[in-house]
Amino acid sequence: MLTLRWSRDPVALFFIFLFPLIFLLVFGAMSRNDSVNFNVAVINHSDTAFATTFEGQLKELKAFKVKDVKSFDDAKEKMGRGELDSILELPAGFGRPDDKNVPAGNVVVYFEESNPTTGQTVASVLQQVLDEANQTLTASTDPLAVEQKATKTTNLTRFDYTLAGIVGFSILSLAIFGMANGFPADKKTGALRRLRATPLRASQLILATALEYLFVGLLSVASMFLVASLLFDFSMRGSYLTLAVFVLIGIFCLFGFGLSIGGWAKNENQSAPLSNLVAFPMMFLSGVFFPTFLMPQWLQNLSQFLPLTPIIDGIRLITTENASLLDLGPELGIIAAWTVLIYVLAIRVFRWE
Amino acid sequence: MKHKNILVVTNLQKSYNKRKVVKDISFTVAEGEIFGILGPNGAGKTTTLEMIEALRPIDGGKVTLGGINVAEEPQKVKEIIGIQLQSSSFYDRLTLVELLNLFASFYGAKVNALELLSEVELTEKAKSTVDKLSGGQKQRFSIATALVNKPRVLFLDEPTTGLDPQARRHLWELIQTVQKKGITVMLTTHYMEEAELLCDRVAIMDKGEMITLDSPKNLIKNLLKKGFTKEQHVEQANLEDVFIDLTGKGLRE
Repeated sequence: MLTLRWSRDPVALFFIFLFPLIFLLVFGAMSRNDSVNFNVAVINHSDTAFATTFEGQLKELKAFKVKDVKSFDDAKEKMGRGELDSILELPAGFGRPDDKNVPAGNVVVYFEESNPTTGQTVASVLQQVLDEANQTLTASTDPLAVEQKATKTTNLTRFDYTLAGIVGFSILSLAIFGMANGFPADKKTGALRRLRATPLRASQLILATALEYLFVGLLSVASMFLVASLLFDFSMRGSYLTLAVFVLIGIFCLFGFGLSIGGWAKNENQSAPLSNLVAFPMMFLSGVFFPTFLMPQWLQNLSQFLPLTPIIDGIRLITTENASLLDLGPELGIIAAWTVLIYVLAIRVFRWE
Repeated sequence: MKHKNILVVTNLQKSYNKRKVVKDISFTVAEGEIFGILGPNGAGKTTTLEMIEALRPIDGGKVTLGGINVAEEPQKVKEIIGIQLQSSSFYDRLTLVELLNLFASFYGAKVNALELLSEVELTEKAKSTVDKLSGGQKQRFSIATALVNKPRVLFLDEPTTGLDPQARRHLWELIQTVQKKGITVMLTTHYMEEAELLCDRVAIMDKGEMITLDSPKNLIKNLLKKGFTKEQHVEQANLEDVFIDLTGKGLRE
């Protein structure tokens, strides 16, 4: 019945389906771009044919995005503003044949002093190009060489790892921002006051609300996975059934937080700040926006016990490592403990009006 | 008067911040009667009613409803009563039929929603939501939701406040129909003519105390016995009669 009521609310529909999808599209697009690109400018002072060909080759390179600049000074200014990562200069006489009748010269790589890594990377990419050119020009093969091959052992993209965080975030916002305002709104109209006059208990109302919306939450998560598969070539390593069961458990747990806030709050003025207070630390500490291993150790230890962390970890382990529910014992343990705690709290602090 | 008491209230008390709002009230209500509580605003009518309905904790005294001690078994009491609250509302975005089914589910009961709606003459509104109803229709629907569990006692808190004369008369008829089914009705009101017309017995409350309790007829008789006289009037009608005569009894909704 509540689902029915909800389905007639266009605003709720937007927040439950479109909002997570927009979020998915934005973050998905950001994390899909996983090849490294450098914005470079090429300043060619040489008039040799070799230099011109070489400049053309640079433009073909995937690692470089060659930008047009008017002059060396213009390029320097752009690098200062961060529009360029590096400037490549072909000095006058670059490519002129040397005494062995082979084109010779040095490419100068300019980079921001404050950003030596970029300079080194650009230089090493360039070195590779030059090595290849050297080999063709001298028509000889170095007897010993290092062959570089990038491997993706599991064929998983960065997106596949990011997705768990995006899903976790949308479950969190659905559970807290979505659920925390329902009860206060019904208190304002007096609808809950009327329910109180029936034998319905607070515990029944809270559990019924959570169970009815579970289905909605699952639908929302399913739509995210559908879009992830269609648009982002998401590759699923685990079982969708395991994922569905795990997600349901996770949603049920987080719903408890929204329902506690909404059940306690007398109106939206109380529920809104409290929602933020609960949601934001979880969002930042549970690996939604950046991996937890970047945090200091004590914070990592703490974040491990937040309810959202095991949910995101669990989803990630299922989708990337085909974990079973048994493998997820520790995660499920933390989630179960939170679930019991938060629902007891929700029933305790509930107010009808 | 009927023989069996369905409600027994003894020495009921309630205080807010040490201010006594209900002071030591005792009365009984017989099964099948319409019992009215009259009184000015702030007399303690609603507080008294809500303590009996198990919606407010009882500070002192005892309430027995249908043989159940209200303070000890509030859930059990809620099973056998129907309540129309003074300020309450219903879930939005649900139709009347859906709401009735929802309320029935709270009692673990099944209800024929359409039949119930026809009893309160809202059949044609079955697929509307509550916000599309007029004031009188809302009150009738509210009574319908209070009847889903076939209660033994129906509580109505100022059911006709804010309604036009036609809608009020219509609601009176509905309350009388409810009584004919054997349901005891307990209501509060500001309107004397409503109490006089509907109630078998009325209690008058003021400042948390029950000043008097009797049938409307006896109360008037007693007043006249004391030698009360009112400025003589020969008209056998009042302005409301004129209004109804001119605008008719038909409902305006």
